[in-house]
Amino acid sequence: MPVPFIMPKFDMDQEKATIISWSKKEGDFVKFDESVLTVETEKVAIDVPAPASGTLAGIRFKDGDVVPVTKVIAYILKEGETFADLPKADLLPAPSKPEITPVSQPVPVPQTASVNATPIAIRMAKEEGVNLSKVPASGDRVTREDVERFIANQKTIGRVTVPATPSARRVARESGIALEMVAGSGPRGRVQSADVLATVKSVPSPAVTNEREAEVIPLTSIRRTIAERMQQSFQESPHIALTVDVDMTEAENARKRFNLQAEKMGQPRITITALIIKVVAWALVRNPYINASFHGDSILLWKDVNIGVATAVPQGLVVPILKCVDHLGIGEINLHLIELADKARDNKLRLEDVQGGTFTISNLGMFGIRQFRAVINPPESAILAVGSVVRRPIVVDDQDRVEVRPMLSLTLSADHRVIDGIVAARFLADLVAGLESPAMLLY
Amino acid sequence: MPEISYLEAIRQALWQEMKRDERVFLLGEDIGRYGGAFGLTHGMLDEFGPERVRETPISEATIVATAIGASLLGMRPVAEIMFMDFILLSLDQLANQAAKMHFMFGGRTTVPMVVRMPGGSGSGAASQHSQSLESVLMHFPGLKVVNPSTPYDAKGLMLASLRDPNPVCFVEHKILYKTKGEVPEGDYTIPIGVAEIKRPGRDITVVANNIMVMKTLNVAQKLSKEGIEVEIIDPRTLLPLDTKTIIDSVKRTGRLLVVHEACQTGGWAGEVIASVVGSPAFDYVDAPVRRLGGKDIPIPYNRGLEIFAIPQETDIEQEIRALVGGTV
Repeated sequence: MPVPFIMPKFDMDQEKATIISWSKKEGDFVKFDESVLTVETEKVAIDVPAPASGTLAGIRFKDGDVVPVTKVIAYILKEGETFADLPKADLLPAPSKPEITPVSQPVPVPQTASVNATPIAIRMAKEEGVNLSKVPASGDRVTREDVERFIANQKTIGRVTVPATPSARRVARESGIALEMVAGSGPRGRVQSADVLATVKSVPSPAVTNEREAEVIPLTSIRRTIAERMQQSFQESPHIALTVDVDMTEAENARKRFNLQAEKMGQPRITITALIIKVVAWALVRNPYINASFHGDSILLWKDVNIGVATAVPQGLVVPILKCVDHLGIGEINLHLIELADKARDNKLRLEDVQGGTFTISNLGMFGIRQFRAVINPPESAILAVGSVVRRPIVVDDQDRVEVRPMLSLTLSADHRVIDGIVAARFLADLVAGLESPAMLLY
Repeated sequence: MPEISYLEAIRQALWQEMKRDERVFLLGEDIGRYGGAFGLTHGMLDEFGPERVRETPISEATIVATAIGASLLGMRPVAEIMFMDFILLSLDQLANQAAKMHFMFGGRTTVPMVVRMPGGSGSGAASQHSQSLESVLMHFPGLKVVNPSTPYDAKGLMLASLRDPNPVCFVEHKILYKTKGEVPEGDYTIPIGVAEIKRPGRDITVVANNIMVMKTLNVAQKLSKEGIEVEIIDPRTLLPLDTKTIIDSVKRTGRLLVVHEACQTGGWAGEVIASVVGSPAFDYVDAPVRRLGGKDIPIPYNRGLEIFAIPQETDIEQEIRALVGGTV
C-alpha cells in the first residue's frame, strides 16, 4: 500500500494550510523527513517533511491550494509499487480543476470538415451525436472502431466527480453553487450541506462587485488572521491608551557605550529597539499585570517575559517572539532580534518563533511617526507603540531652562479588564526611569 | 395512572378483552395451570375456565392451524408461541394459510387471530430460544407485525390487534416483560401501523424497536448533555411500516441510524434505509445512512458473548457520534 501523505496539523486550532510550493515533483524520489513542500498556516510558513522514503506520486493539490488538515495531498510509493497501486479516487484530477463530461444528453455537434475520418465513422458519429474532433484516431484517420471505443469510454466515465452528500447536492442546486467550488470538510473531502452553505455566504453577491470597479485581492491566510485577531481584540478588550515623553539623552549615551563594546566583540550595532526591549523587560518584571492575560474568570500573570516585536513582511505583519527577555543581556537581545527579523523576511519563521508572547512592541519610529496607538495582540493585555526619536526643545529644569533633547513618545494600549489606568501609568513611569537613566536597571 | 409492567399490560389487555368479547380465547403450551412460560396468563384459567384458556400439545403447527380454523368460524383466538424461535414450526400455517386466506377468498372471509411470541436475547436461553425473527415475518403480505417497546404501547397495541380482522403477529420481548410504565386502567387502542417519536431531536434520527428503544433513550440522554440531540422513532408496528414518520424525521435531521437486535443481514433496518433513500428524504441526507444490527451469529449461551452479539449502549453511542461528528 502506498503511504498516504497528509496535510499535517501544526497547531492545535489549525484547520487548513495553503500550499506555497512543492520542492519535489511527481515521480521524484524522496527520503523520509526530507522537505517536500512548503505550506503557510495562519501564522507561519513551514516545510513539510516526507512521511516515508519512496517515490512521490499522485499529487492532488497545486501551489496556492488551500487544503484542510489531515487531507491526503499525495502518496509515497514504496519499492515495487507503481502508480497503479494508488487508490483510484485519488487519481482523479484535483477538485480545483474538475473535468465534467456530460454523458446523459449528447448534443448533436456539427461535424467539422477538417476531421479526417472514414465515411462510416462520420455517419456513426452523426447518429450517436459524437463530436468527431474529440475522437482520437488510432491510425491516420478516425475509423469506426475509434468511434465505438470513444462511445464505450464515454459510458464508463463516472458522472460523479465530487463526493458530496445528497443534502449538499440539493443545497448546491438550490443556491446555484457548483459543487466543484466547495471544499468538503467531511471524511475524504466529502462535501456536506454546511460546506455549501458556508460557500454561499462567502461568495460576494455580484451586485456589489458590478456597481463599482475594484481590484479584488483574495485574503491570504496571514491577512485573514490579522483581520480576525485585530477585530476580536478591538471588540473584546476595552482599550485605554496612555502616552509619555522620554528624554533619550542617557539612553543614547548608553547605546554609544554598548556599541563600542559590540564593536570590540565583533557584534552588530545595538539598535534603539533592542535597548527599548531591554528596558521594557525590566519594567514588565516590576509590573506583572502588564505581562498578563485575561482568562474568563481569572487573570494569568505570566512567569516568563516573552516580548513580541511587530515586524513588517511583504505579506503583512508577523510578530516574532523573544523568549525570556528578562534573562538576556542587551547584546543577546540585539542578536536574537536580527536573527528573527531575517527569518521573518525570508518567510522562515517556525511556529515556536511566533508563539507564547506576553507583550508586544510596535515601532514605527523609522517612518517618522511621532506617536500612535496600537491594537493589543490577544491574548496579551498590552502593547507599546514606539514613535520616532526627535530632537526638540524642552524645559529641562525648574529654572525653565530650555534645551534641545532627543525626545521619544511611548504610547501604551492596555486592556482595561486587566489593567487600570494607574497600573499602566506606573509601568510607563518605570519605562521612563529606565530609559532616562539606564543605570536604574542595575538597581 | 398506575404503573405496571409490560407483562401485566399485555395480560390486562387480554383479560379486559376476554371480559368484553366472549369470542376471544387463548391457546398455547402450559398457559393454563402453569400460567405460561413467563407467567403472562397466570390466573386466567381460574377466571375464564378451560374452554377459553386451552392447553395444547407441543406442536406449534397445530396451535396456529387451530387458531386459523377457529377464526374462520367466527372466533377470535390468541395463540401463544412459547418462544418466538418456534414460530418457524408453524410458518406454513401462518404464511401460506393465515396470511393469504383473506385475499384468496376475494375478501369474503377474514382471519381475526393474534399470535403472541416473546423474542430476543438477554436471558441466557441460547441460540434456539433467543432469536429476533420479526424481519422474517415481515416478508409475508397479509400478516401484521406488531412490536411494542413500552407497557403503554403493549396494552394499546394488543387491544388493537385483538380487534383487527386479520392475523397479527404480536412480538414481545423477554427482557422488556419486567420493565414498568404508566398504563391507563381503561380501554384504549393504539392504531396498528403508526410509529411514535419517543424523543424529539434535531441532529440525527435513530429508528429502533423494542429493547433498543430503551437503550437508545439512555444514550440520547447522555449525548444531550453534550448538545447532541437524538430523535428516536419507535415504529411500534414493523408491518405495515410507518415510513412517513421516518422520512419526515430524516428530512429534519439529515442523518439516519437504524438499530435492532435482529441479525443485521436481512434485518428490517435495510427496509427502513431503502425506504428513506428512495424517498424525497434522499435530498436531505447529509451523512451516510447506517444500521446497527445484531451480529450475524447464533446467539451464544455464554453471558459475555451473548452481550457481545447484540448492540449495546456503547455501540449505539459510538455510531451516533460517528454520524454526527462526520467521521464516517
